Amino acid sequence: MLPETHTLNETDQEINPIPAEDWFESSETLQKLRKNKKFPTIWCSGCGIGIVMGALIRAIDHLGLDSDNVALVSGIGCTARMPVYMDFNTLHTTHGRALAFATGLKIARPDLHVIAIMGDGDATAIGGNHFIHAARRNIGITTIIVNNSIYGMTGGQYSPATPHAARATTAPYGNVEYPMPISELAITAGATYVARSTVYHAMELDKYIQDAIRKDGFSLVEAVSYCHTTYGRLNKLGTAADMLGAIKENSISRAAFDKLSPEEKALNTKVIRGVLHNIDTRIEYTRAYGNLIESLQHGGGK
Amino acid sequence: MAIQLMQGNTAIGYGAIAAGCRFFAGYPITPSTEVAELMARELPKLGGKFIQMEDEIASMAAIIGASIGGLKSMTATSGPGFSLMQENIGYACMTEVPCVIVNVQRLGPSTGGPTSASQGDMLQARWGTHGDHQVIALCPVSVRQAFDLTVAAFNLSEKFRTPVLLMADEIIGHMREPVELPAFSTIQQVERVVKETPGEYIPYRNAPGDVPPMANFGTGYRYHVTGLYHDPLGFPTARLDEIDPWIERINRKFDDHLDEIIMVDEDKMEGARIALVSYGASARSARHALKVARRQGVRISMVTLLTVWPFPETVIERLADEVDCIIVPEMNLGQVALEVERIAGRKKVTRVNRANGEMVTPQMILNAIEGK
Amino acid sequence: METVEIEKTGLKSAPEAKKGARGQVFIYGKWCKGCHICVTFCPTGVLEMDASGDHPFVAHAEKCTACHFCDTHCPDLAIVVKRIKD
Repeated sequence: MLPETHTLNETDQEINPIPAEDWFESSETLQKLRKNKKFPTIWCSGCGIGIVMGALIRAIDHLGLDSDNVALVSGIGCTARMPVYMDFNTLHTTHGRALAFATGLKIARPDLHVIAIMGDGDATAIGGNHFIHAARRNIGITTIIVNNSIYGMTGGQYSPATPHAARATTAPYGNVEYPMPISELAITAGATYVARSTVYHAMELDKYIQDAIRKDGFSLVEAVSYCHTTYGRLNKLGTAADMLGAIKENSISRAAFDKLSPEEKALNTKVIRGVLHNIDTRIEYTRAYGNLIESLQHGGGK
Repeated sequence: MAIQLMQGNTAIGYGAIAAGCRFFAGYPITPSTEVAELMARELPKLGGKFIQMEDEIASMAAIIGASIGGLKSMTATSGPGFSLMQENIGYACMTEVPCVIVNVQRLGPSTGGPTSASQGDMLQARWGTHGDHQVIALCPVSVRQAFDLTVAAFNLSEKFRTPVLLMADEIIGHMREPVELPAFSTIQQVERVVKETPGEYIPYRNAPGDVPPMANFGTGYRYHVTGLYHDPLGFPTARLDEIDPWIERINRKFDDHLDEIIMVDEDKMEGARIALVSYGASARSARHALKVARRQGVRISMVTLLTVWPFPETVIERLADEVDCIIVPEMNLGQVALEVERIAGRKKVTRVNRANGEMVTPQMILNAIEGK
Repeated sequence: METVEIEKTGLKSAPEAKKGARGQVFIYGKWCKGCHICVTFCPTGVLEMDASGDHPFVAHAEKCTACHFCDTHCPDLAIVVKRIKD
């Protein structure tokens, strides 16, 4: 129960401090969090990963999913620390391998909603191969990649998503490499639903995550975020609030992008937000294998 | 089943099926590929699932994911793939997820000799993944034993919530012998049983026997699994008062139950002052040498290690008390011999090694026996 | 003037004829890490940082339009906005 007010007054004293149990009860979505886990979360003050977690639990709440049938799988990194906070079946695996573990789990239990949660380094560097093949198989795993263009957990090394010329601890003179387009890679590899948004557009993220979970196939939501602690500091981009504002300025909706002239499109450097790909022409992997089993067991196949 | 001429790899596949394996993820690699091919054919007929993953790292990950999802699972590989799997094998040790990994050993290091035999991964089996951990490793000596020990591997993995390595070799994997397999319905399977209600369930608690019951994902028990050190609830921890008890329990899990894990075949002769200790394909040469030596009047014993890890220390201690010399033939430059030497004393142990892809021959062993 | 009751809290607020609080903001100090995002982005200036500069507080409750920017962007899930029923 929320008291009349429990906001902090100007002298930084809590008027009516309430126990955590009551805070969990204060909204439907917060009930999706693990009540026996210690909060606040491990992430830096202002980190966009927390925003994505909020979008995820709102999406799951809006879909009305049974928590017992939701499994979250992650690799290693700041983003990968997300699942432990949520009251579902949660699997924190090895660096880059979330999709491979998730593939086994989804095949064993195709009825579960399996959601893989990864950062840009985890998913596209060490995990790149598994990313490509999970998309190719069109296996019904909902994949959320929080792209903050850096390896945050280890202190700010460049990732396959770090912009050219940006600074990182392992690119002290500026990144010599060019980044890889994550969503586009997923589309080419065979994903059947790909959407991208940003942590500024949190409500949009909710919606895309819901769509992605509902999709029967490999679905990707790329959530563009920021790491003010490492990348931001090394590239002098300000506070978390500054970087969140910059993300808004540096993004454009797909609808608006489509209206640009060819010249403007070619010069565009803004992140394009929207549903980038959504097809129904490929069968989902576990369904296809299930058909095989069906045909062998009842069709008398050889 | 009727008597049939069967390949070792086939027997491994059938052993898995008989033990209840219903998920296989693997990657083709000589000389293990036949296991994957059999599972690809047979599993879907039984409602089981087969997938060829993009590499061995993904294969190992997938079998852990499937096991957590409730399916008994297995992968099969050889040296180069075994090296790739190590990180995730350690993950299975840390998270205590049952699964079976078959390594049909071939000549290494590196690409080595894909179609040549070896027992060169035995120490890697024990220590291939980083950090202090334990594993169970079994070595079949014949095609029938490949079936039996694969069944045992599954049951041990469930009973002790651990990955189990079936360390075959190219000889056993590719040879054919006449076998009569038992009807699969007669094979005892160890199942997962969770008695606590979801509210009471503590996935990594101290439990009788030190093996907490394992709840499958999606069955009402929502818990966290991580490769980080974790508390009994599965949440990451850096507290010494949570790490130390976990380390103790994990080791007790094996050390206090060796009688259920260690399997050896002892063929002891009264008055014998020499003994052979071997495993896998080398034990076949050793057995032949044993027969010839005994026919020549030599009093000689033999111990075949079916379980190599945890190492059968008590068995070798006892043997070391009984004989003056232990001869260890193996297709490597002395890996299990290191354990025997550690227990019996280096002076008591003679190695008979071959690490070029060829079997240690009975003659090589007889030469060693003659020298004693 | 009409008064409205916010469910659960019993707090009464007296809105203006057309404007007035459409939502109430609850902030959980124990989880808040003081990132300033809510204060920076609130479109109507409901929130301000307190004197210590560490945490936000509801400075102008009547300005809340229940746009939900703060509670959907709080990285610590330390804000809940309840729409006021009318």
